This record gives sequence, structure tokens and C-alpha cells, in this order.
Amino acid sequence: MMPCYHLDSVARLRSHLGRAYQIVQPLEDVGESAPPLVSPKGYFFAEQENLFVFDGECFRETLPQPPPFVLFGVQSCDLTAIVYQDQFFARDPYYQARRQQALLVGIDCVTPCEHGFCASVDAGPGVKAGCADLILHARAEGGWLLLVGSDKGGEAIHGLELAQADAAELRARDGRIDDCIAAFPDDSHLHRGIAAINRDRVPDQQWQQLGIQCLGCSGCTTLCPTCSCYGSRDLPGEQGDIRRQRFWDSCLYESFQREASQHNPSGEAGERVRRFWTHKFGDDFVKTFGRYGCVGCGRCEQTCPGVIGVHSVMRRIADYAPDDDV
Amino acid sequence: MVSRTTTTICPFCGVGCGLNLRTEGDRLIAVEPQLDHPVSRGQLCSKGWSSAYGIDLRERILHPLIRTPGGFRQASWDEALATIGDGLQQILDEAGPMAVGIISSARATNEDNYAAQKLARAVLKTNNVDHCARICHSPTVAGLKQTLGSGAMTNSAADIFETELILVFGADPTENHAILGGHIIRAHLAGTRLIVVDPRRTRLAKLADMHLQLKPGSNIALINALLKTILDNHWQDSEFIEARCEGLAPLAAAVADAYEGVESATGIDLETIRETARAYSKASRAMMFYGMGITQYVSGTNNVIALSNLALVCGQIGRPGTGINPLRGQNNVQGACDMGCLPNVYPGYQPVADPAVREKFSRAWKTALPEQPGLTSLGMSKAALDGIFRALILFGEDPVITDPDQNQERLALSRLDLLVVAELTMTDTARMADVVLPAASFAEKSGTFTNCERRVQHVRQALPPPGEARGDWQWLAAIARQLGSDQLDWADSEAVFREMAALTPSYSAMSYPRLDEHSGLQWPCSAETPEGTPVLHRNSFPIGRARLIPVHATAIDEPADAEYPLLLTTNRLHFHYGCGSMTRKSPLLEREIPPGLLFINPADARGLGIAHRAPVGVRSRRGYLETCAMLSEDLPPGLVSMPYHFREAPSNQLTNNAQDPVTKMPELKACAVAVEPLPPGQVPRTMDQLNAERGGIGI
Repeated sequence: MMPCYHLDSVARLRSHLGRAYQIVQPLEDVGESAPPLVSPKGYFFAEQENLFVFDGECFRETLPQPPPFVLFGVQSCDLTAIVYQDQFFARDPYYQARRQQALLVGIDCVTPCEHGFCASVDAGPGVKAGCADLILHARAEGGWLLLVGSDKGGEAIHGLELAQADAAELRARDGRIDDCIAAFPDDSHLHRGIAAINRDRVPDQQWQQLGIQCLGCSGCTTLCPTCSCYGSRDLPGEQGDIRRQRFWDSCLYESFQREASQHNPSGEAGERVRRFWTHKFGDDFVKTFGRYGCVGCGRCEQTCPGVIGVHSVMRRIADYAPDDDV
Repeated sequence: MVSRTTTTICPFCGVGCGLNLRTEGDRLIAVEPQLDHPVSRGQLCSKGWSSAYGIDLRERILHPLIRTPGGFRQASWDEALATIGDGLQQILDEAGPMAVGIISSARATNEDNYAAQKLARAVLKTNNVDHCARICHSPTVAGLKQTLGSGAMTNSAADIFETELILVFGADPTENHAILGGHIIRAHLAGTRLIVVDPRRTRLAKLADMHLQLKPGSNIALINALLKTILDNHWQDSEFIEARCEGLAPLAAAVADAYEGVESATGIDLETIRETARAYSKASRAMMFYGMGITQYVSGTNNVIALSNLALVCGQIGRPGTGINPLRGQNNVQGACDMGCLPNVYPGYQPVADPAVREKFSRAWKTALPEQPGLTSLGMSKAALDGIFRALILFGEDPVITDPDQNQERLALSRLDLLVVAELTMTDTARMADVVLPAASFAEKSGTFTNCERRVQHVRQALPPPGEARGDWQWLAAIARQLGSDQLDWADSEAVFREMAALTPSYSAMSYPRLDEHSGLQWPCSAETPEGTPVLHRNSFPIGRARLIPVHATAIDEPADAEYPLLLTTNRLHFHYGCGSMTRKSPLLEREIPPGLLFINPADARGLGIAHRAPVGVRSRRGYLETCAMLSEDLPPGLVSMPYHFREAPSNQLTNNAQDPVTKMPELKACAVAVEPLPPGQVPRTMDQLNAERGGIGI
């Protein structure tokens, strides 16, 4: 069981952590019950970054050297995504250079957000063990609980005077999270859609129809907290040097998989839309990552101009689900 | 690590989406959509998402440059301004104010545009000021001014969710105005009926309830047949016509024979025409959108008038969820028009020809103002060819790529004695300049943009201008000072806005703080309408009663024939914008589309022996280029299409310069071409290579 304390004010915790860490707070108000529109993945996997510089003779490493920092007030969906990305980028020195410097302070959601469905994909609304160093929970009666999720979290609050919370408080937290789960709207379209994808019941024609609505804007992959595809290019510098830059890519672009011969295994938009959703909900990915690629944040639903975010797509394909699977 | 977020507006199309710029120090690290923006609601298109690449410092012009026989050399601002000032003064002394002019920028802020027309009128003493609206929506301004009294989108983006039927006429909004196009998809999925009229099978056409795939240039034939159907069946809104319009009888007489030959002229059968007429006229609220497929014809102004007739006869205007809605192409093309960067009007469309108006501006600007009407941009080009127009200041535009008949445009610019270009990067037009000035991008200055729904929005500075770059109104003011005028000496952009708003009735109740409070305000915003005006013409039109004006079909100037057997039209791609000077800096967008392409129906391609992605040569009476063929069922047989974004294969090498007699809008949407296969495996030669090989007009 995680150690748990009473916390009178979030500001006190923040200023204590601020002594050893730079504070980064993605949300204006920590108490907001919806994740920010932009996921925190960019704090570890930068949108554009140099991998190395070649000066004509030597290759110079360009590893980032950030100071220790706290991501303060991260919701469960995004924390689950960070755990997912930690696996994908386990051996990526650029990602790890930032990740090792970070302390994660999670926050339990206690009311459902507009497009979110974290509870349906085991990614919230309460912060799960192993996802954060510290966890904030807003008590129904006012004030906060502070749970310690890791040794690093324990060390970070060393010296902060806190009263121990009892087991009843922890039960109250669980109850509040359960109430939140119960308050989510009907998610049967999601379960049916996932079944339809994994039983390969969605006809090509349906994917093609959805593909017409994909404008190729890259909004979904940019905001998706588990999307991690990148491209790279060499940029000439002013002194004849060359730097290799990597940048976020999107599998919804027609050119993402186009080969030099112009052959394209995913030349049709419908093909690409199908691939995207298979990566988010395919059972095969569970074998590798221990969970679905989707953490239920609902950002794609908000940002997709073509109306093929997660709820829109799942509602359209739900009817193809085999009856025995629902 | 400590990042700062600046709230601003996307610099691309006229939708005007909310964009946040995240910076670390002087570096732009990410862009984000604004969740609470009234139009874009947390969304961006591929261009918006890529806007950080568009302004990155690579390839940016950082210092003033002066042309020498050996190429450009870096110069100080003082030297560049002295060169410009002396050059202008000499030409003014020798040839008078009609020999100089300014082409302003629909990409720049209202403040920049206001400064540009003020420099022209108050300092250079000429009305020779224009901008690229000439080649997008000048027929809208001219047409709707006649019929309604105001040439802007009558309704708002939000109305898309309040209408029963959306009629999209000659526009491809999911590519060019993607967020608005997305709203149309969303509304359609929720049950709004969607009818698309377009020669190409656009994305919306594929999703629509009906697609009228008309022949290029047959808009008026189709619209008149729709009008005849409506009047014959008494589906018109007689009450509305009675109360608010004039001219029904002549219109009815003019469309009486509109069925004659209409099926062969348009390619649309009468049953479809009838169904469309019924649906549009019977809908309780129907909203019409249109784009370049209406305006870029020799019949552009009449096309707009015809659409206006259709909306007026059905009473589909002046209420939420209705209206005539031109989709404006550039982020601030509405604003550049509003600011009076047009040869015939001051800010707020106040006519130069009206002595009282001239007097008003003369008093405000404390100087005598020119009476002689100014030249349009194409008029300036023509006068330059004739040797009577000698100095041009141009910014944020690349007419060598974006204007019709590229070779003539190049020749015209080369005839100038002084060409001043302010730009972010070295465009083809900037390469021809005598003096190049480094401009600040949208992220490096503050000001306002006016989107296509007339919403004036605050653009905020997130980064310092790189090198010695300056905002446009700042260097325009420096030129004024060089010529001895302090009329452009403002303290900041807010001071420019204040002066402009005081002289522009439709902006008169706007201020920066009020724009911020309201997430932008839609004009007219005056003492009578301090909260702005989402829906125009609710109770009356600016000209009192709207005018129904009969118009007759005009054939396209250059139909296909034996020698040039295919018709070429132009289109835009979601991934690129204008001349590509910003979007092509994104490695993703650049990868997405090959530099230049020709869309062709597979049947036409088969007949010519052209395979998918094969190299082709395309020839018109005006020019030749090489590109690669993309076989697509989205084009009907006989019609090919090219985007104009690519300098390697610029469609404007081919396009026709025949013009709408009212507005001088060139017919960019239709010209005759011949397409021939190149030897397989041959890489299409770029325009630069072709120019070099023929030793022709080069740069």
C-alpha cells in the first residue's frame, strides 16, 4: 500500500519541490478535471530535436541536458501513456536523458471529462500504482491526499511536514474514483468497436469511407500521448556542418510509408485509418506493451477536423462487432 | 525548459483558427490549437500544425539586400532606405505619382495594410495600391457590392451548425479552409443536407448527398436554370422579394429560356437541376459557400451576381444558417480589402471618387490626396510593360508564382526602374528586386487579422524578429520618413489600429482590449452594434433593397480545341499554401506532395500513353512546363488540373490572362492545354532548368 498523507495546500507541495526541481505545470489549475489539449509527451520526446552534428570530421553527440524537473499535476491517462512511451523509448538516449530528470506528480480525476474514457481502457481515472512518483487526490471534504508512488517521490517530499492519512482516507479515495467511473457515459460503442477491429470484421469499404474524412492534418498523432513515430532529416549548418534532426511524424500522411520506388503499402487513406486504429486497439500490441495503445484521453475526438476521432470511428464500426463478443 | 505560451492566430487561410505558440527563450518549440477558439475549437489543419517550420530561421532574410551586377549584397537599413527614398523621389519627379505603386499583402496584418495604403495615398500621392484579392475575390467585392452593398461573407462559421442545407459552389473547403470544411463534414454527418457543385470530385463531393459535376465555366447557365425552375414552380420567397429586393421581373424574363441547351452546356440533367432547386429553395435555412470556382473566370463578377440572385430569390439571406458566403483564401485578405488596399476605396470601402470621403481622409492625414483612380496589380504590370509605371513596393506576395501568365509577369517586373520587396525568404519575385527588405513573420509582430467571417482577431508577438527584420508597418513608416513625411510615425501597432478604427465606420467600436475580451469581433462593429455582427443584412441591405440583376452565360475564353485538346483548371492542396514559401519548409508537407503534379483522368492518360506518376510535358499558348501525372478519377475526362504552389512546375506558366471586364480577374480556372508523355524515367525539368536551357527570361 502506498504511503498516504494529508496535504493542506498544493502550493506548499509545489514550492517544496521547487527547491530541487524546476516546476512544469501543464494545467493552469491543478484541480481541472480534464487533461490539457496537448499531452506532456513533448517533455520527453521533443517535437523537433537534433540527434547529432557532423562537422566534416567528427560526429558530435547532442544529448539534451535538462535540469531536474517536476511535471506537476498529470492525469492518469497521460501518466499511463508515459509508462507506455517509457517502453517504446527504453533505449532512446534522448528520451531517457529527459525522462531520468523528471519527477511525475499525478492527480486523480474525480469527474469524467468531455471526451475521455480512461476507465474503459484501464488507464484511469485514478492514478495507478507505478505510474507516478507522487499522486494528488482532492478530498470530497476539501484538502488533499498525497500518495507516495515511488522511492524517488518519497525522497522528493523529505522534509515536508505532513500528517499521515489513515486507511479510511484511502478507502474514501477509492470510493471517489469508483463514483467517477460510474459517472462515465455508456461506452459500449468502444467495446464493440474494439471487438470489430480485433475480429477483423470491419469491411474495407467502411475504412475507405472513413478515409475520405481523413484530411491528413496530423492532429490526432500530434496530440495522441502514445504516438511516437518520427522522421529525420539532415540540415546543413552555416559552417559547413550538418545536423541530423528528428521530428514528429504522422502515419496518416500518404507519404509516411511511401517507398523510394513510389510503391506504397498504405497508399489509400482508408488503409492508413485502419492501421492507426489497429495500433491503438489491436490485441497484438497488448502482447508487446501490456496494454492497448489508447489511454482514453479523447484528444483525437476533439482535434479531428474530419470527425474521425475515437468516438466517431467506434460508433461507425461498432455494428460490425460479432454478437458473441459483446 | 521554461516555456511560454502566446495566444495568436494561424497565419494561413481565411478561417483564422486560434493558435498557441510555445516558445523557449527565442525559440519556437511547438504550436498548439486553442481549445476555446470560437471557430476552430481545438483543431488545426496540416498547415497550421506545421507553422513552426514555416518561420524557422533557415533561409530567412535577415538583413536588407541591395542588387549589384554581381548579385545581392548586404546593406544597412539606412543605406537601403536611402536607396529606396532616392529612387522613389527621382521617379516621382520625372514621371509623377502614377508611375509608382504598392502591392500590399493579404498575409500581413490590418495595421501593415493600413500603413501601406496610407503611404501610397498620403505620401506617394497615388491610388496605385492593390493586393492579391485581385486574383481571388475581387469579383465578390464587385458583384456583391452591386447586389447587396457589401462584399463579404454574410454569415458566420458557427452558422454551419444551424442550417438545414449547405450548398458548396466551386470551392474545396476541406483542402483550402480545412477547419471550416471539417465543420461542413460534421454538420452533414449530423443530418444537414450537402450539395456540391464542382467540376472535380472533391472530398466533400464524395461525401455529399448530391454532386453536380458541372463543366468548367458553366456556372451561370446552371444558376439561371435553377432560378427558372424556382420561379416556374413558385418556390421563390415572394414575401422576402416583395419586402427587400428589386428587379424580379427583368430577372424572370432573362431566365425564361434558361433550359435551352443547359444540359449540354453544364453536363447536368434537368432532373438534377430540379431537385437542387427544390432542395435549396424549400429548405427553411440554406447556406451557400463559394470559392475560386466562381470568381476565377472572365465571367467572375457575373457568376457572383448569379449566386446572389439565387440566394435572394429564395430569401436565403439575412438569417442565421443562411447567406452568401465567399471563402476567403488568405489569413487577412478580408482585412487587406477592409483596409482599402484597393485602388478605388479607402479603409472601410469608402470610395476614392467621393469628394467628401477624400476630404475626410485629407483632414485626418493632414495632406492633399490624389483624385485620379489607381491601377490594379495587373494594371500596374501592364503599365510597367508600357514603360509608364516605374517603381513598385511589394511585400508578402510572390506574383511571379501566383499570378497568371508567368512570363509576362516576369517581363513586367524586369521593366521596373525600382522594385522593392519585403519578404521572409527569397521568393522568385524577391530575386528580381533592386532592394530586398527583411520582414518579420506573424509570430514576430503584433497586430490584427480579419478572418473570412469578418472576425477581427488579435495577433500577438511570441518571438523577437530575427536579424534586422522589421514588421511591415515599421519599414513602411521608415520609407515615409525618408520621403519627408511623419504621417506613419506610430508608437506601436495599437496606435495604428486606433487611427484606422477612428476612420473606418465598420471597425469604429473595436479596440485591442475589446477584441481580447470577445475572442475577436465581427464587423460591422460600431456604436450601434458594439458586440459585432455575426449575421449581415438582417433587416436591410446597405443599399436599401437588394438588386436582382440578370446575367447571361459567357463562354470561357479559351476552350479546348484540336491543337490544345484538354482543359486545364487549377486547384489547391491541403498541404500547401500559396507559393509554398512557408509550407514547403516543413519536411512533412514537402514529402507529402511531389514538387509539381498534374491530375488527369485515367481514360485521358490511357489515350495519351501516360502511366501513373509518369513524367509529362504540358503546353499552352503561353508556356510550357514539365511535371508528373497523377491519374485520378476525381477529374472527369477532358479536364486536367494542377496546383499552383510549386515553382518547379508553376501552373501559371500555362494559365490564361483573359480577364473579367469588371474586376480584371484573370480566368485562372480554365485554359486549353496539350499534354504529352515524356520518355519513361526522364525526370521532369524544373521551370528554372527550362528557362536556363532556352536562355529566355531568367533570373
